[in-house]
Amino acid sequence: MTQYVVNGILAGGVLAIVAVGFSLVWGIMNIINLAHGAFVMLGAYVTYELFTLLHLDPFLSLPISFVLLFALGYALQRWVINWVVRAPILTTFLLTFGLSMLLVNIALIVWTGDRRGVETWYSGANFTLGGVTVPWVKLLTLIAALVITGVLQLWLSHSKTGRAIRATAMDIGAAQLSGVRVAQIYAIVFGLGAGLAGVAGTLIALSSSISPNMGDPYLISAFAVCVLGGLGSVQGALVGGIVYGVIQALATSWQGTIAGQQISGSGLSDAIAFVVLLLVLIVRPTGLLGRATA
Amino acid sequence: MTGLLRGLGLGGITGNPVALALAMVLMALLLVVPAAHNDYLTLVFRNILMYAAMAYGWNLIGGYTGYVSFGNVTFFGLGAYCAALLSTHGVDNLLADVGLAIVVNAVFAALLGWVVLRLRGPYFGIATLGIGVAVAEIIANLDALGGSSGLAVHQVDESHFWIYYYAMWLVAAAALLGTLAVTRSKLGYALVAIRENEDAAAALGIAATRYKVTAWALGAMMAGAAGAVFAPANGFVDPSISFSPDSNVFPIVMTILGGIGTVAGPFIGALLLAGVNELLQRYIVNAHTLFFGAMIVLVVLLLPRGLVWLFGLRGGVRAWLRSLTAYRA
Repeated sequence: MTQYVVNGILAGGVLAIVAVGFSLVWGIMNIINLAHGAFVMLGAYVTYELFTLLHLDPFLSLPISFVLLFALGYALQRWVINWVVRAPILTTFLLTFGLSMLLVNIALIVWTGDRRGVETWYSGANFTLGGVTVPWVKLLTLIAALVITGVLQLWLSHSKTGRAIRATAMDIGAAQLSGVRVAQIYAIVFGLGAGLAGVAGTLIALSSSISPNMGDPYLISAFAVCVLGGLGSVQGALVGGIVYGVIQALATSWQGTIAGQQISGSGLSDAIAFVVLLLVLIVRPTGLLGRATA
Repeated sequence: MTGLLRGLGLGGITGNPVALALAMVLMALLLVVPAAHNDYLTLVFRNILMYAAMAYGWNLIGGYTGYVSFGNVTFFGLGAYCAALLSTHGVDNLLADVGLAIVVNAVFAALLGWVVLRLRGPYFGIATLGIGVAVAEIIANLDALGGSSGLAVHQVDESHFWIYYYAMWLVAAAALLGTLAVTRSKLGYALVAIRENEDAAAALGIAATRYKVTAWALGAMMAGAAGAVFAPANGFVDPSISFSPDSNVFPIVMTILGGIGTVAGPFIGALLLAGVNELLQRYIVNAHTLFFGAMIVLVVLLLPRGLVWLFGLRGGVRAWLRSLTAYRA
């Protein structure tokens, strides 16, 4: 039991990083970015290439992943998505769906569909504390996730750009009147979302195998975490990510009978997680932490 | 022409009347496809009709009511499983399949809708996404429904395969006419009122939840009927084809391409998109999904309001070019 909770918390760190970028883009720009999973995938491949070609440690490739994906996200928003950014949410939904298809299929051509992995010298190492096994990689990943969300929260609340971003989310008209260049802010936010997805991809590559289609489950969990944590909120994504990770880990351990048939939770983890999610939605439609801050 | 069609009652929230007339003519033309005696062609057009029926189902809730659902594939899958269950119990009658699928989906959607349709905007979307995933997972774990390996469904012999084509045509045509009937009724106007401003609609005495549940259940019946015809035509069902992400996303993409919240849009969108997808699969085997993705991107950038909107466009190329910058930040 304790082991499952710990596994869930450790997995929650990555889920939080995936979700925080998705949540910022959705909360601030009102775009449901279906290409977010593809960005995660690209981040994982950046790490994979740097590791196999230059033997660069995955943790050192974190900033490179971030910068490359930030640049991609910035460019996509500035020159493609910006044309329809004020359209109803479905338009951008469809556009990012198309972009996701493009990116995944380009990755399929470049890297083929084979599953690949990043095997470092510390990959299999773990330690045991009070009967609970903790893999070092997962612990480091969780710490990285905490640091990144902390830095992001500070940057959003104290830097000039961060304040401009929050102002844009609150009232576009008022922000423009105060001299905020909205198109520029949108490009930065989208770049930030993509960069964070890239970081998540790097962290995921450390502990699981990667392939061009790896992004979809992360996209769905990002949705779920946004609901649990509330849109556009950094702390919300962190709490939501960890709660969702624990729910999923516990669901996996569940055993029961349906219609006289023995069923184990491992095949039903998504179903159970979503039922919990549905209950949360019905009781608290704006997420566990209440209203989104942005 | 337009005036005459409007006089016949084909205006208002049905969308552009010329586009609607065109959609109806095209739908009637599809009746002759099996006469070509080309199995491949018949299959392609049967898929187009299947997607069209699902797109109409989505359009009622996502287009007219403004509640964007990411879980309508659930109804298609349940419909397919209704037909499969009947087949394993020795019943193979398309009318019974479709009938059961419609009843099961209407009940399921009404019960579910009563809960999830209280959620608004993106939260509704996520809840519906979860429903699709959850139902598929539960079915994959039930041995009574074949688990993840699925169930075989009895088929008619090959010389009678046209029966599935016409059954699918009837489902799609009924979905088109059903949508038209909705837009000509109080229900349709109530749905649009809810889409434009739900609180104002409620203040005017529109029982929002009841109307939303009705629209959602009607859409579920359309998708379910398509699933019930698909199952025997395909010969077997399993969770991955009955609840495939393609069947979830294609109808949404088709509706948006054709024109969201119009009667002609879903069918025109399905015809073009499924047709193009088929051509790409045939001639650009390795990269057809790449081109499909690129096409979606271009359509959204160049035609953000859908094809039906072009029919009503005044001012030619200039007006179109001006519209391209309408949604820029």
